[in-house]
Amino acid sequence: MRGYLQSIETMGLVDGPGTRTIFFMQGCPLRCAYCHNPDAIRLQGGREITPAEVLEIARRYRSYYGEDGGVTFSGGEPLLQGEFLHKSLELLKQEGYNTCIDTSGIGNRAFFPDIFPLVDTLIIDVKAFDQESFANLTLTKGFGEYLDFLASLENYGFQGQVWARHVMVPGWTDNEQSMRDFVRILRPICHRIDRIEILPYHTAGVEKYRKLGMSYRLEGVEPMDKDRAKELEIYANKVFAEDLQQERKKAQARSEEKYKILRDRQVVSKQEQAEMFASLRELPLLREVAEGDVEAVLDEIILSNIKAGDYIFRTGDAPDLMYLIYQGEMKIFYNTIDGEEQIFYIYRDGDFVGGLNLLVETPYRYVGQALTDCRIIAIPKATFDKYFYDSSVVLRSVLTKSFDRIRWAEELIQRLATSNASMKTAGLLLKLVKRIGVETEEGIRLELSMNREELGNYSGLRRETITRKLGQFKDLGYIDLVGNKVIIVKDLEALEAYVL
Amino acid sequence: MVQALKDRKVISMRKELFERTEMAAAWKGFKPGNWSCGIDVRDFIQQNYEPYDGDASFLEDATERTKALWNQVDDLIQEEVRSRSISVDLEHFSGIDNFPPGYIDRDQELIVGLQTDEPLKRMINPYGGVRMVESALKAYGLSMEPGLMEKFNEYRKTHNQGVFDAYTKQMRTVRSAGLLTGLPDAYGRGRIIGDYRRVALYGVDYLKEMRLKDKENFSDGATEEAIRLREEFSEQIRALDQLKAMAARYGVDIGRPAKTAQEAVQWLYFGYLAAVKENNGAATSFGRNTAFLDIYLQRDLELGVIDEKTAQEFIDQLVIKLRMVRHLRTPEYDELFAGDPTWVTESIGGVGEDGRHLVTKTAYRFLHTLINLGTSPEPNMTVLWSKHLPREFKEYCADMSIKTASIQYENDDLMRPIYGDDYAIACCVSAMRVGKEMQFFGARANLAKALLYAINGGRDEIARDKETGEPITVLPGIGQNDQEILDYAAVWASFQEVMDQLAKIYVETMNTIHYMHDKYAYEAGQMALHDPNVHRYIAFGIAGLSIVADSLSAIKYAKVRPLRNEHGLAVGFETEGTFPRYGNDDDRVDQIAIEVNRYFMDALRKTPAYRGAEHTLSLLTITSNVAYGKKTGATPDGRKYGEAFAPGANPMNGADESGALASLNSVAKLPFRDVNQDGISNTFSIIPAALGKNDTERLINLTNVLDGYFGQGAFHLNVNVMDRELLLDAMEHPEQYPNLTIRVSGYAVRFNQLSREHQLDVINRTFFEFV
Repeated sequence: MRGYLQSIETMGLVDGPGTRTIFFMQGCPLRCAYCHNPDAIRLQGGREITPAEVLEIARRYRSYYGEDGGVTFSGGEPLLQGEFLHKSLELLKQEGYNTCIDTSGIGNRAFFPDIFPLVDTLIIDVKAFDQESFANLTLTKGFGEYLDFLASLENYGFQGQVWARHVMVPGWTDNEQSMRDFVRILRPICHRIDRIEILPYHTAGVEKYRKLGMSYRLEGVEPMDKDRAKELEIYANKVFAEDLQQERKKAQARSEEKYKILRDRQVVSKQEQAEMFASLRELPLLREVAEGDVEAVLDEIILSNIKAGDYIFRTGDAPDLMYLIYQGEMKIFYNTIDGEEQIFYIYRDGDFVGGLNLLVETPYRYVGQALTDCRIIAIPKATFDKYFYDSSVVLRSVLTKSFDRIRWAEELIQRLATSNASMKTAGLLLKLVKRIGVETEEGIRLELSMNREELGNYSGLRRETITRKLGQFKDLGYIDLVGNKVIIVKDLEALEAYVL
Repeated sequence: MVQALKDRKVISMRKELFERTEMAAAWKGFKPGNWSCGIDVRDFIQQNYEPYDGDASFLEDATERTKALWNQVDDLIQEEVRSRSISVDLEHFSGIDNFPPGYIDRDQELIVGLQTDEPLKRMINPYGGVRMVESALKAYGLSMEPGLMEKFNEYRKTHNQGVFDAYTKQMRTVRSAGLLTGLPDAYGRGRIIGDYRRVALYGVDYLKEMRLKDKENFSDGATEEAIRLREEFSEQIRALDQLKAMAARYGVDIGRPAKTAQEAVQWLYFGYLAAVKENNGAATSFGRNTAFLDIYLQRDLELGVIDEKTAQEFIDQLVIKLRMVRHLRTPEYDELFAGDPTWVTESIGGVGEDGRHLVTKTAYRFLHTLINLGTSPEPNMTVLWSKHLPREFKEYCADMSIKTASIQYENDDLMRPIYGDDYAIACCVSAMRVGKEMQFFGARANLAKALLYAINGGRDEIARDKETGEPITVLPGIGQNDQEILDYAAVWASFQEVMDQLAKIYVETMNTIHYMHDKYAYEAGQMALHDPNVHRYIAFGIAGLSIVADSLSAIKYAKVRPLRNEHGLAVGFETEGTFPRYGNDDDRVDQIAIEVNRYFMDALRKTPAYRGAEHTLSLLTITSNVAYGKKTGATPDGRKYGEAFAPGANPMNGADESGALASLNSVAKLPFRDVNQDGISNTFSIIPAALGKNDTERLINLTNVLDGYFGQGAFHLNVNVMDRELLLDAMEHPEQYPNLTIRVSGYAVRFNQLSREHQLDVINRTFFEFV
């Protein structure tokens, strides 16, 4: 298995996070007017390289990678050499390298499901925003394929982050409408976008055309003004953040709607109430109690009415009772370090909570609060030990319940993890604004007591990542950094747009 | 002899010096240890310093007083640079106590002392050579007071005269052909670091008391070495008297130890000042002082005697003084060491043997002078990098590098196992234990030329006999190569013979130079601040290793056809095919460089050195890479006659085409320990845009580059982050860039002070600019 390589850049510091070794692959299906690697268009040519050699080279540079760096495949179009790319990524991932591909999304699709689960960062070059411009620029009709690529990215197993880039040519897309179109195209993968970058068109590659005896289609077009490109980059980021917020609001509204419907449908009949004691026996937990013990159990357990909003147990409560919800709804949550409520579970009729606590004798870690008026049956530990402890059925149901909860928590973690570095950093800044922000003329001043490392831990990011992210926010004009300990928030709205 | 000194250690009673009143007063609050029973500055530091893990946010700006003072000095410096003229004391000879006290602006100075009676006024040092003084003065249209020089010449012999009295004919030929160049036979050898901290910690009186004892303890025998040593002790004792007298002229009694932070800074500086008054060594480095000073500053801060602003002010004012050191140099000297450098090298950071890092707040304060006083080439800030330095400090250094291009980095993790944790860098890259070791500096051999000798039968490719016009045979007995296409094995065998001969002559030449230097231009002031039994290194050097590697690679992997002139000398080369070049992390050629490197070092070791010195080797050119180029014919790698060499261990311009890290990796392979143990210099220039998209990215990325490079055992890196266009503009409009500083091989220079030729060399070097 060999790939065709145009060249290697051993210190790529701008193509993907951190310090990266960039493999420029031969071959590209597009014929972009401004292509600055025209010598990489042909698939054949260049030198041949095996995936093992790629790994060997990466090893030589591992010591430079820091926390974020790694290997980038660029080109040309790396996806054209799908099998090579797959094998190389596989080897790199086996040794824990951070991977990135810089692509325009057009390649050999058969390999996509193999490739994309192995990619940490995808740099997607958004060439144009409509069919016609795309065709004009690239001399190919791949726009549809390209949109489809974006929409299918997660289906291919991609779990990483995306840097979206666009080369801005003066007179082509240097306007706000184009930036809005740009953002619209990114919508299917908006929650994976970590950066949106505008690359101002430059003429540094023109000389290569002369040397290769090729004609240059943008002859006479001036380089893109860097300041204007920066302005539009900032604008695109803003539009993107607003867009993101809209998307999230919609999602939130959908989930609220669902919850409301469930609540509305819940009916508590009077008849049921009357039959409560009789039917207690039907509850999964009590079903196994021996006939002769029923009375004793009924005698020892406590049936109570709880009003909506009342607490049932709190963090740190001793494991002396477990609770069975006979009727109603309660939520289990905990307060995060920054004072936010993180809900884990909503329990309702027949559910029980605290069995595991009683079994392993650990205090309650979360808070239980009635969401609606509830009827709760509290089972004291002594009763539990006496009548339930030996029951394999009870144990099994306690465990099943616990596993359910673990699975649910894992999903929650997954969900939290998909919020990317931008979102996490913006979220952290907003929390800090609330807690320690001081309004000043320049903006909201945050005097930090934490260093970067601690900030990172706090937000679940590596030190290097959060430092880079703060640098990027500064670049976008959202914040200003004064030394290491002072952050001035200049554009609160922009930050808010990243989080809800 | 060494045994006698060791015995002395045992005999000397371990008397607690805290019992002495003046010590007790000065050392209040310090934790006692070995250091308080005898001279042991390292122990003092280890017992008393506090590592600092925080960031730079505590740092203070310069005070108004310091700013005012600095402005006056800066004006003088700018005038000196602009007018390319200098001021010289034409009435006195150099010496520790030969000048009246000098001030910049007495009321604003917290730290006092100048080399002469006026700021930036240079001294005349005739001990190195009268001819050199005359040539230097002539270059600036000056002359000595009539009669003074003649008198000196009549009664006193100089180092230069001594050397030429003892040189053999072949030594002269090797020297004039440029096979050995830049030898310290016409200027002070430098590379000696006095332990100036001893002046502050113990006071001069105690140092003298100890040296008197040393002399007494050493009264057995009268071998040549024993006689010499006793004479040197006496010279050192006199120098200590002069040091005390010199300070007294400023109204300061440094007989006793320093009591406060301000005194500690002042005492330390006087120790150093004596060194640069007495001698004009090419590199007179400052040592490793930040953790030491931090102990004093921290004590005064805790006592509430000073605040952070004042602590910074002491350091700022010290650094102002260090920026003012000047020496009178000849035009030939300037060509080798461009930009009037003095190598007031201060080694900062590093890690202790116990694993605690040595970064203190004063390490930050010292680097912060680059902001408070603006960028400057001196002092030569050298960060001792270790993977164990706190990340905050690493990023701070990277940030300062990006902002000022004034910092060099050297690998503490490589040096600590050899030199312990109280070594410092002399000049650019030479490590030595402070106060315990010294070096005989020895410039470098031109191995690119040596390779041509291997092809040309030991004859020089340029030099001609003045009478006959025939080529000159510099190294006899080397066979002439007459192959049409050069054969690798044949060239390599012949090159080995050349290196064997060259190494022998090189060591013998160096022995001659240092014998005479000790005899006629002894550095008593600096040696008084050493242990009595110093370990000596003798430092050799190689220039042109990248050319040799590429040339041998061309011969091995391509077809190289020499173009011979009427004398059969190869004066050009035609190359067919491609060949790997050093600087691309390609072992086919990198290993050639290493093989040559090791071979030459082994060859040097075969000839014993003067005073039992230990042989070491460096890959460092300073700015002499340009001068070497001019004196070296075309080489098989395609380099043309006269074209500059790459500086230090750098790959040749444009040879490194796989990006910056491949280039760094090639250099990182060159062995340090036991081979290039005197240092491997590498200069790295990159444009800001290639280093990262914004300031934050750049400083993280640079930190990671440094961590990665040193993590694989590389030795040294100069870092320049700037656009080539900026340098081009500075060349045309120097007035707009008065303090633009750039790192060249092993030191930093003010760009405006370089000759146009050197400026162009800097601009033409590889700038990594992949974006």
